[in-house]
Amino acid sequence: MTGTPAQRPFFGPILAFPVTFWLLLTFAAPFAVLTLLSLHEYPDPFGPVLQAPSTAQFTAIFGDEFLVRVIIETLLLGAGVTALTVLLGYPLALWLVRLPLRWRPLAFAVILIPLLTNVVVRSLGIVLLLAPDGLINQALGLLGIPPFRHMLYTHGAVALALAQVFMPFMVLALYDVLQGTSPRVHEAAESLGASRIVRVFLVDVPLSLPGLRAGIIIVFLMASTAYVSATLLGGKKVWTTGMLVWQEALQNLNAPMAAALSLVMTLASTLFALSMIWITRRLTPWRSAAPSGFRRLPGWIIRMLDLFGPAIGKVLLVCSLLLLLLPLVLVVIQSFNDVPQATVAGFRAFTLKWYERVLFGGAYAASFWISVQLAAATAIVAISLALPAAFALARHRFPGLTGLAAFWTLPLSLPHVAIGVGMLKLLQVFTAIPSFLGMLAVHVVLVLPFSITLLQASVEQLDKAQEDAAASLGASAPWRFFLIVMPGLAPGLLAASIMSFLISFGEVTVTSFLTTARMTTLPVRIYAEASFSLEPTVHAVSAILIVGTVVLLMILNRLVRLDRLYAR
Amino acid sequence: MTITRRQAGGLILGAALAAPLHFTRTAHAQPKAGDELVVGIWGGAQERIVREHVEKALLAKYPGVKISYVLGGTPERRARAYAERGRPSFDVIYLNIFESRQAVRDGVTQAPTDAVPQFANLYDVAKLGGYGVAFNPVTVVYDKRKASKPVTSWQDLWNPEWRGRIAWPSYPGAQGTAGLLMAARIFGGSENAIDIGFRKIRELKPFAAIQGSQDQLFGMFDQGVADISIEFGSFTRSYAESRNPNIEIANPVEGQALAMNVACITVGTRNQKLAEEWVNLHLSAPCMLAYAQQIYYSPTVKNLSIPADLQPKLVLGPDVAKLVDFDWDVVIRNQPAWTNRFNREIAG
Repeated sequence: MTGTPAQRPFFGPILAFPVTFWLLLTFAAPFAVLTLLSLHEYPDPFGPVLQAPSTAQFTAIFGDEFLVRVIIETLLLGAGVTALTVLLGYPLALWLVRLPLRWRPLAFAVILIPLLTNVVVRSLGIVLLLAPDGLINQALGLLGIPPFRHMLYTHGAVALALAQVFMPFMVLALYDVLQGTSPRVHEAAESLGASRIVRVFLVDVPLSLPGLRAGIIIVFLMASTAYVSATLLGGKKVWTTGMLVWQEALQNLNAPMAAALSLVMTLASTLFALSMIWITRRLTPWRSAAPSGFRRLPGWIIRMLDLFGPAIGKVLLVCSLLLLLLPLVLVVIQSFNDVPQATVAGFRAFTLKWYERVLFGGAYAASFWISVQLAAATAIVAISLALPAAFALARHRFPGLTGLAAFWTLPLSLPHVAIGVGMLKLLQVFTAIPSFLGMLAVHVVLVLPFSITLLQASVEQLDKAQEDAAASLGASAPWRFFLIVMPGLAPGLLAASIMSFLISFGEVTVTSFLTTARMTTLPVRIYAEASFSLEPTVHAVSAILIVGTVVLLMILNRLVRLDRLYAR
Repeated sequence: MTITRRQAGGLILGAALAAPLHFTRTAHAQPKAGDELVVGIWGGAQERIVREHVEKALLAKYPGVKISYVLGGTPERRARAYAERGRPSFDVIYLNIFESRQAVRDGVTQAPTDAVPQFANLYDVAKLGGYGVAFNPVTVVYDKRKASKPVTSWQDLWNPEWRGRIAWPSYPGAQGTAGLLMAARIFGGSENAIDIGFRKIRELKPFAAIQGSQDQLFGMFDQGVADISIEFGSFTRSYAESRNPNIEIANPVEGQALAMNVACITVGTRNQKLAEEWVNLHLSAPCMLAYAQQIYYSPTVKNLSIPADLQPKLVLGPDVAKLVDFDWDVVIRNQPAWTNRFNREIAG
C-alpha cells in the first residue's frame, strides 16, 4: 500500500468495488422498486410495479400539514436523541478508555446491555423510571419535590429510550478514536498547563471528531427511522415518520404512500449526514494538511470548566451508567418472575420455567442457533466488504467517492419496513435462493453502513508513521498490512464486529417479511409472540445473552488486544 | 343472525370463488408422507396450543407429513400473502376478522366450505371470510376501585367520572376499530355514518393516553396512568386474575364488539386436503377447550360442552348472538381515511 492516491489512481475504485457490487446485487433492486412504488398514483396491491409515473404521493405529503409536521418533528427528535447520546456517551467513552484493561470486557458488556435486551424490556424500564409513581418521582419525593405526572408518552420519553439503546453505537465509535490518541499528546497538553478537563475539550474532542462524526451519523439516521420505541413510549401522542410508514405499508396496504414518505425522509437525513461530513472536514483541517488557526479559549471559560467540568462529567457518567444498568436489573428480576406477561412490573414468585423453556423448549433453542449463525456470517461478510471501503474513504479518495459513500449509507437512512416493502415485490426472486443466503444478503446490507462508518474512523486514526517505518525497514505491503495495520485496527475491527453481530442478531423488521419455517430467527420468534402476548421468556433470553457476552468478551480479551499498541 | 343483502352477496361471491375449488379438490390426492403444510400463525401460547392439539392429531392421521410454522404478526403475514397471491408459500394463514373477509374478496384466501366437516357446527358469524376459530370480543375494561358504579354500557365511557383517565385504543387495530364503531353506533350513527363516532370520541379528550396494545394498556393500569379502556376481554381476564384483581371486564348491554381469529386456506395451495384437515382439527373439541382454558378464547363451534367453572369467563350461546357485528366491507374500505382522521383528530 505504498504510494499516494495520485500514484495509484486505480486503488480507490478497486477498494470501493466489493461493497458497491454487493449493494447493487442485493439492495439496488428493492430500492428501485421502492422508488417506482412512490411514483404510483394510487395503491394497488396487485398491480404491476412499473406504471406511468405520477407525483401524486409527494404532492399529498407536502400538501398535508399533519405529515409535514410529523416529518419535521421526527427530524428534530433525531437531532435531540443525537445530542442526548453525545452528552451521555462521551463521558462513558472517556471512562472506558481510562479503565484498566482487565475491567474492560465487563465495561463493554455494560455498554452493550441495551442492545442485548429486548425493546419491550427496555421500554418497561423507561416506563418504570418516568411513571407517575416511578423511580424519578419517588426520588424527588424524598427531596420533597412534588411529582411530575406527565413525563411518559412525550417526545422526551421517546428520546430517552432511543438515547439509551443508541448509546452503545456512540460509545463504540468514540472508544476506538479516543484509544488512538497517543499518551504523548496528553503529556504535551499537560506540560502546556492544561488541566484534565481542559485537555478533554481542547485535545480529546477535536482529535475524536472522526469518531464523533461516525457516531452522530449512525445515531441520527437510526433515531429518525425508529418506530417501535416511539410507539411504545410515545403512546401515539408522539408521531414519527417510521410509524406512519409502517401504518401505511402494512395496515392500509398503501405501499406508494409508504414509499414516498420513506424517500422524503431518506433525502432529508442523507442531507444531514453529508453536512455532518462537511462540517467535520472543516473542523479538522489538519487531516488535509491545511493550516489550522490556533484558537485560544477565554480565561473565564477555562475557569468555569475547571470548576464545574469534573463534577458535571461525573454526574453525566453516573446517569448514563444507571440508564444502561436499568434494563439489566429488570431482566434479572423478571426472568425469574412467575407471571404470565413479560410486562408485569412487580415480582410475584420465583420460577425457573422461563429458562427451562428457552434452553430446552426446542423451538427457542433452534431459533437461537439460527440467529447466532446468521449474525456471525453477517459480521464476517460485512467486515470483509467494509474494510476495503473504509480504506478507500480514509486514504484513497477518488472523484465520485462521496456519492458512492452516500449510496452505501442509504440502507441506514431508509426505514427498515420500507426495505421490507421493496423486498415483498421481489419475493419470488428471493424465495428462489436458499433462505440462509437470502437472509445473509439482506442482513449484510443492513449492517454495512455501520461497519463502514465505524471502520472509516478507525482507519483514519491509524498511525501512518508506523507503516512508513516498517516500509523503510524493508517490510513488503502484505507484511505491513498483517503486522502493523491489522493490529492497529484490532479495537476498531472488534467494535465493528460486535456491532455487526448484534445488529444482525437483533434485526426483526425486514427479517419478519422474509422469514420461512426453517429460518425463524430468535427476534422473529419473540416478535411473533409479542404480537400476541409477550411472556417472560424474553427476559430469560436477554439474561442468557448478557452472560454469554460477558464470557465471550473475557475470552476475547485473553486472545486479542482490545487497545492500540501504543496506547499504554 | 339475519343475513343482510350485502352479506348474502358476499356469500354468493364466496360460493362462486369456491366453486372451482370443489372441482380441483377432487383432483387433489390424499395427503402423503413428505407433504409439508406451511401455517402462518402468531407465536407464544397460540403456537404451543396448535402444536399440541392440531399438529399431533394431524400427524397421527397422516404419518410422515410435516407441519412448518411461519411466526409473525398479522400485518406482516397479510402483506406477504398479498404479495404471493396465487402462488402462496403459506397453506393456512391466521387473520383477524376484517382482514380475512377482505382477503377472500381480493382472491388471496378461500371462502369456507363444508369440505371441513366442523364447518356445519360453526356459528353463522364464524362462517364468513374463512373459518372463525376463536371469538375474542372487545369490551370496556376498567379499574373498579375508581368506578362509582359498575360499567354496564359503552355509554359509561362518557360518564364525567372517567374524564382524563381514559386510555383510548389506537386505530386501526381490533380494539380501536371496536371503539370507533361502537361510539358511532351508540350515538345513532353506524359504519356508514361514522362522523358522530369521531365527534363523540373527541369530546372525551384529553385522554390519559392512547394505548397501542394490551401489554401497553396493562402497563398503564399497573402504573396508574389510566383507569379505563377498550380491550380484548380474554387477555384482560388473564391479566386481572394474575396481576391486578381490581380490573373488571364489563359486559355492556349493547353487547361486546365482535372480534375473531380466522383460519384461512390460501388460494392456490398445493395441500388443499391437508389444510382442510388442519382447520377441522383446530375446530375440534380438544383444541377449542385448550384455547378456552389457557387464554379464554371463546369457541366458534356450537357442539362443545364447556366445564361449568369456565362458562362465566367465556362468550357463549346467547352472548354470541349479542356480539355486535359490523359491515366489514365498509370498515375496511374506509380504513385509510379513518386512520388519517384518527391520527389528526384523536391521537394528534
